[in-house]
Amino acid sequence: MKPVWWRQIRAVMRLEVKKTFFAKRGLWIYVVAALPVFLFIAYATAVSRQQNRMTEMVHKGKKTITYEDLLAVKRGMTNQEVVALLGEPDIHFYWTEHRQTGPKRIEDILHEKYNYSDGQHWLYVEFINGKAENLTMDYGNNLPRDSVMFAGIFQFFFLRLVVFFGCLGIFMNLFRGEILDRSLHFYFLSPIRREVLMIGKFLAGLIATCTIFVTSEILQTTAFLWAYRPSVRNLYLYQNHGLEHAAAYVGITVLACVGYGAFFLIAGMFFKNPIVPTAVILIWEGINPFLPAVLKQFSVIYYLKSLSPVDVPIPPGMHPLLALLISNSDPVSAPVAILGLLAVALVALYFSSLQVRRMEINYTTE
Amino acid sequence: MNDRILFEDVSKFYGEILGVNRVNLSIPPGITSLVGPNGSGKTTLMNLMTGLVRPSRGRIHVLGYRTDDAENLFKIVGYSTQFDAFPRGLTGFQFLYSYLQLSGRDAETAERLAWQAIERVNLVDDAKRSIAGYSKGMRQRIRLAQALAHDPKVLVLDEPLNGLDPLARSEMIALFRAAADRGCYVIISSHILHEVDVISDQIILLSNGYVVAEGQIQSVRSEIQEHPTKILIRCTRPRELGAKMIESELATEVTIHNDGRGLLVKTRNADTFYLALNQFALNGTEIESITPADDDVLSVYEYLIGEEEVVR
Repeated sequence: MKPVWWRQIRAVMRLEVKKTFFAKRGLWIYVVAALPVFLFIAYATAVSRQQNRMTEMVHKGKKTITYEDLLAVKRGMTNQEVVALLGEPDIHFYWTEHRQTGPKRIEDILHEKYNYSDGQHWLYVEFINGKAENLTMDYGNNLPRDSVMFAGIFQFFFLRLVVFFGCLGIFMNLFRGEILDRSLHFYFLSPIRREVLMIGKFLAGLIATCTIFVTSEILQTTAFLWAYRPSVRNLYLYQNHGLEHAAAYVGITVLACVGYGAFFLIAGMFFKNPIVPTAVILIWEGINPFLPAVLKQFSVIYYLKSLSPVDVPIPPGMHPLLALLISNSDPVSAPVAILGLLAVALVALYFSSLQVRRMEINYTTE
Repeated sequence: MNDRILFEDVSKFYGEILGVNRVNLSIPPGITSLVGPNGSGKTTLMNLMTGLVRPSRGRIHVLGYRTDDAENLFKIVGYSTQFDAFPRGLTGFQFLYSYLQLSGRDAETAERLAWQAIERVNLVDDAKRSIAGYSKGMRQRIRLAQALAHDPKVLVLDEPLNGLDPLARSEMIALFRAAADRGCYVIISSHILHEVDVISDQIILLSNGYVVAEGQIQSVRSEIQEHPTKILIRCTRPRELGAKMIESELATEVTIHNDGRGLLVKTRNADTFYLALNQFALNGTEIESITPADDDVLSVYEYLIGEEEVVR
């Protein structure tokens, strides 16, 4: 025999999950969740095209180029020497610069750019008057490098914007939406403890956000890896912790939903206008790196950053203040981060439970 | 007192706006009607009774339960509100079924009780339709079904007859009467005074947030001294009887009825008047019937709140 409160929580969840998934006012959340997926689909398409071009170049070239051949090109070599080594380039740009080299003296300088590929790397050789001056090696399909880019998008776009605003849209409406619809009294007329109602609604919100954003995260990972050759993909997934990273991103997404969900649930009870709490929480999360250690702990992003499996490097030359936003200067261990975030969420839920007991049905003043 | 609905010095303010002020009530079983013009505090009183709003001052107990104890309160209370909004996307049956499941009932019991309630309000044919497509009367009936579904001891019904056709009205009134006869507490607010008059065991008269009068209609009427009691007497020789009454100074005003077969008498002392009337009858005056003409809700309402406020 299941306890009554559990049956009540399930009844609330059944009603709320259905409403949350199919609410017209929540359709934008699906669009927001799809944005990073589209970004990675575009990325996969670009990578795929680049790979095709490389393959085409390799097949077209009279000479088979190896990675060692590309490394053999040095600064100062003439274009004839480079052509002798790698063959005629498939892509060849050139232009002439009229440069003033003295009073009333203009010199024509010939710029040429040769592109070569071994199928996996690009070599861009820039000649000035027939001599190689700049060599750039681009790792066309560098999955380890791109996984850092994935981590950056996950931390700074997906977590801080997509999940943040998605949770805002779902959790703030759990009570506020019902007040606007004038249907909250339906719950308040039932023999159900208000705290039980709040937990049921929170869990329903969690199911909805986790389903939407974990699906988005999985689709992003799939799209990100799609363009790579199966051998590269498998190597990353099974030999280079790729699978662990993917699982960590799913876990972080779930924890983000728990943390932001708890914050926005209570915000929805206190504020009529969502702009005010959104701005407050967004600023609070943004200034987290600048806060004292004690205050940092009352933030969701502080714990999520510590859980990220891939550190996002600070680009060279970045302003120290901006660098502070990216870096994780005060990380905590994974267990502490998980427990810390859950504790912060529980504190928020505790205050929500106090507030829900004080709530009145007074639609006319809303 | 665990057998009453008690209001002890209850006030409710919405900011600076008065909802109700200094209300003291002890509501017994039976049908109690809340009567008063718009904004007099009827709905506030009902919302206070059911914990939807909290009093700014004072205490409320419903059969011994505090109104902030929703878990226990709504096991014995059913409230049909005036709020004409429902959770989205539900059929009539799903609405009741969900409500009963929220009450902690298992699926089988919830289904059985939901169908019973639907049958009681005659909505079986439309139970599987979406509430969004219901007429006003059907929405009213499904709200009543929600209030009745768990067979509560206390029924709080805010304008329960609004939007119902005459047949449905009489069916619902019979339903409320049956509940009251079973010992339930049925609290009704209504603008339709002649219906309140027919169904109420007691009334609570409200004006501007204050309780103006409460109790059985007749006893409330008898306390209104400034308005003489009106009595309709059916008799064979009305002129003769009228003259005797004026002569004996029992009546302050006597009018022959339009059909010439009776008298409309005004008296300041109804009890003495009735005794004297017995004496007249014993002395040979043939009296067919004696009916109080103004101890109904409408008259009480007119006397206490004023004619301009009466909603007929």
